Amino acid sequence: MNKLESKQVNFYYGSSHALKDINLAIEANTVTALIGPSGCGKSTYLRLFNRMNDLISDTRLTGEVIIDGVNIYKKGINVDNLRKMTGMVFQKPNPFPKSIFENVAYGLRVNGITDKKFIEERVETTIKQVVLWDEVKDKLKKSAFELSGGQQQRLCIARAMAIQPSVILMDEPTSALDPISTSKVEELIHELKTKYTIVIVTHNMQQAARVSDHTAFFYLGELVEYGVTKQIFTNPNVERTQNYITGRFG
Amino acid sequence: MNHFESELEGLKKDFIKMWELVALQLKSSLNALASMDHEKAQQIIITEMEVNDLDLKISKNCENIIALYNPVAVDLRFVLALIKINTYLEKVGDIASKISKFVIKSGDPFYNDLINKTQTLAMFEEACDLLYDVMEAFKTNDAQKARDIFKRDEFINEINKTAFISIINSIKENPDNIEKYLKVIALNRRVEKAGDMSKLIAEEIIFYIEAKVIRHRGK
Amino acid sequence: MAIDENKITRSKKRNQSIAFCVFAVIGFLIVAILVTVLSFIVIKGIGVINWDFITKMPEDGMTKGGIYPAIIGTLCLVGGSMIFAFPIGVMAAICMNEYVKDGILKKIIKQMTNNLSGVPSIVFGLFGMALFVNKLGFGDSILAGSLTLGLLALPVVIRTTEEALKAVDDTFRHASLGLGATTWQTTRNVVLPIAFPNIITGLILSVGRVSGETAPILFTVAAYFLPKLPTSIFDQAMALPYHLYVLSTSGTNIEESRPIAYGTALVLIIIVLLTNILANILRKYFSKKVKMN
Repeated sequence: MNKLESKQVNFYYGSSHALKDINLAIEANTVTALIGPSGCGKSTYLRLFNRMNDLISDTRLTGEVIIDGVNIYKKGINVDNLRKMTGMVFQKPNPFPKSIFENVAYGLRVNGITDKKFIEERVETTIKQVVLWDEVKDKLKKSAFELSGGQQQRLCIARAMAIQPSVILMDEPTSALDPISTSKVEELIHELKTKYTIVIVTHNMQQAARVSDHTAFFYLGELVEYGVTKQIFTNPNVERTQNYITGRFG
Repeated sequence: MNHFESELEGLKKDFIKMWELVALQLKSSLNALASMDHEKAQQIIITEMEVNDLDLKISKNCENIIALYNPVAVDLRFVLALIKINTYLEKVGDIASKISKFVIKSGDPFYNDLINKTQTLAMFEEACDLLYDVMEAFKTNDAQKARDIFKRDEFINEINKTAFISIINSIKENPDNIEKYLKVIALNRRVEKAGDMSKLIAEEIIFYIEAKVIRHRGK
Repeated sequence: MAIDENKITRSKKRNQSIAFCVFAVIGFLIVAILVTVLSFIVIKGIGVINWDFITKMPEDGMTKGGIYPAIIGTLCLVGGSMIFAFPIGVMAAICMNEYVKDGILKKIIKQMTNNLSGVPSIVFGLFGMALFVNKLGFGDSILAGSLTLGLLALPVVIRTTEEALKAVDDTFRHASLGLGATTWQTTRNVVLPIAFPNIITGLILSVGRVSGETAPILFTVAAYFLPKLPTSIFDQAMALPYHLYVLSTSGTNIEESRPIAYGTALVLIIIVLLTNILANILRKYFSKKVKMN
């Protein structure tokens, strides 16, 4: 069954039509990259899945956005609970002004978990999952700001994973990182996809090629092409996609 | 091992599978030729399909790796070398199946005598060994071993040349069988070609390991 | 046509030096004015400042003695006004910035706050007198004065707090909300700690502003001459700015009390200066702390 799906999705910021009739289905345990020039709607599309667009005033949505077969925009959906199903990672590493430990524990605490032992165990396994444990195990009580940018970003991924979502949404997760940190995060994405469904927005086409199984190319709010990454990058069906990925655009 | 390395590793695995298959094809065609065994020859023609499939698969994978991972330096040379070696191997596979076709068509003891006389089998054996040895050089990234191939290919060329002259002389003595003689010349040339392929492969291995281009440079 | 590189370089240099001169003159002027005012007051006032001056009651129709009750009165008023303005102001700012969505309502409230900060302080004084002193029956008291000063400080507190909250990157909020946190959990655990250094700075700057105000306390609390300390929040009290006003306009003997007036002014300036320095120190301390823990 498809993990994520959107049917006839239209999205408006005020009067501007940001997403036009987007139909897309994403399988579980795959990495899907959303590519396209700035302002093409790829970030907006990503944010539909944890209803982050709700926070912006004067927006409107038609169509269905579906996670695990449930339309998450239907009436009676608890948004706080919904957001627990998805973890989000942002462009710039943004750890909270707390200790390394507390950053990862945050999601558990705000959801009312108080069992100290449980929290400790979960924090440890999660930090190990993002391959950060050896680097931070001796300074869990120190501020998260003491870590390097790349470490901070992996910590933020751990923070998102601690509440065990099934979907991880990444909005240009490596655009502020150096190449070494970038490749570490990319490696992590490969490992995580066995457990999570990952959707990643990226400006870096090579990154999309390297990390994703499927690629969706957005342009001016339209989904131009969606397909297996290998095919998109060797022989795209649509000429506009080819022009974009080869850099012959506009 | 990171994701890209494991992709390369997978490619290499497929590739060695293809190589072993082709080497086996060549070896079997040698055996088929030595014993003029039609059944064995038939088998080789059938497995040729498998080689062709692997060839397509490896070409596609090489294309994907270049498109998706933008390999550089040694990785780039590795993939580029693979693409070329793949073509050479496919040709070796063709040679094996063509020799097999020769075996099937020819039921004449005349050929046996001529083949023995021109040392075709000795040449053929050396060509098989070359293919195995150059595969070993590839597996172990051994440039020196690859260099040794060049000398041994000379030996094959030498035999072929001698065989050619001796056949020409035979034709002069016995012009009635000219068609059969020409067929053996073609056979010998095919075997010699298989040896050449090993030499070309060796050049690619040296290119990939040492980043040196040695073709068109004499010896 | 060849471009005369030297000419361009020369004209660039000339423009550069003109701009530099203009800014240097302006900068110098500002510093000069400040130094003149400060040194004038320091020179005139430093003579009367000693331990007795700040710890003794005024004597002989305010021509002798100290300004102790005025200092204490000012501290009480400032403290009182902050107890009133800080929680309300911060909460209002949180409400505006974290809860209310952009729209007409928010625009109106914002405009109101801006207007409020533009209202002359004497109007606050009148309003305080009408509401707190008369209507609510607090009389001329520290309570009425504090509330009036608090009203005056409110727009400043709201505005600085709002700026501090706005400076917190939205991704922090989204990250927290994305983990299933409520808006309040997000505000308390993530946004406020990050904004705290700036909020504290805004608060202390508004203290500086309030401690110098005369008009709002004129009708609500200030005693002309009261040589004793207040005992409850319903007492009248003296205050530094008003004391200064009295000394220089309507004292029993203006000429004789002139040095004391300068001394009072100096004390007031020192208090404002100290709060500003404190604000800086605290901001540095807390922003370091936010980063470190």
